[in-house]
Amino acid sequence: MHEMSVAIEVCRMAEERLAAQQLGQLVSVGLDVGDQAGLEPDNLSFCLEALLAQPPFNGAKPVIARVAGDVLRVSYLEVDDGRPGD
Amino acid sequence: MAVRVIDVRERVMEKNDEIARAVRLRREEAGLPALNLVSSPGAGKTALLERTLDALRDEIEIAIVTGDCQTQNDADRLAAHTSHLVQAVVTGGACHLDARQVERALNDIAIDDTDLLIIENVGNLVCPASWDIGEDAKVVLLSVTEGEDKPEKYPKIFRESDYAVITKMDLLPYVPFSVAKAVGFMRDANPFIRVFYTSATSGEGMEEWLEFLRDTARRGSSITKVARR
Repeated sequence: MHEMSVAIEVCRMAEERLAAQQLGQLVSVGLDVGDQAGLEPDNLSFCLEALLAQPPFNGAKPVIARVAGDVLRVSYLEVDDGRPGD
Repeated sequence: MAVRVIDVRERVMEKNDEIARAVRLRREEAGLPALNLVSSPGAGKTALLERTLDALRDEIEIAIVTGDCQTQNDADRLAAHTSHLVQAVVTGGACHLDARQVERALNDIAIDDTDLLIIENVGNLVCPASWDIGEDAKVVLLSVTEGEDKPEKYPKIFRESDYAVITKMDLLPYVPFSVAKAVGFMRDANPFIRVFYTSATSGEGMEEWLEFLRDTARRGSSITKVARR
């Protein structure tokens, strides 16, 4: 029911890290969502997609992994630092 | 382009919990205990508080914070029963109070002149269970006009609550509600939950509830948590 609140907090966490560590452009954000976390994954994904479509994210994708328990955490950020790949 | 993966592994609630810890610390320093009242909408949180404020008016200095999606109706109702400031947090649609809102509300409370803080959360049996707002204990209300199986359907909030109040007991003769079953379901979720049985209309069971609040106010913050699990 509070998926949007959680999605906003996830975006705040991502934005804070992107800015502080100058990580570049966000490509995807990985989340672990427990089956007892009180969140509906499709709904959370929908909220995140809406928020991540906006600057500074410009279309980064949420990647939700279902886990057991009441876990709710950001597991990783996938970023493109804009440098040429090797 | 060079795409790389940055390990984060941080709980989404970390920031909220950090603020909740700060709220708790501030209260503990001032010796101010806080109860977080949760229930479904219409279970009688405001009615219980109206009667409570009337009864304890000359005994305990109680500060109230109410949360609602829209309107400050509850705060207006309660303000008629106390000389203290009743703070309304309008969440603008959000389904719960968070620690930041309580932290802000605390700024306007004369914390040293208050014996007890009661936070009336947004009516909702789901979301408030997930947000720590820096309280000492959650008190969950269940009215006899709701299904007795609510604790079975929404176990998390009963698991998270140290105390439960079965409200509207005066209506028990008119509704098919088994108190024994309801309490059984509550204890399945939390074997140590302490249960009160009240009617804000008839006054039934109020004395035990009021004595609990007096005791809580006397003990100050860090009221003895019910040992569990």
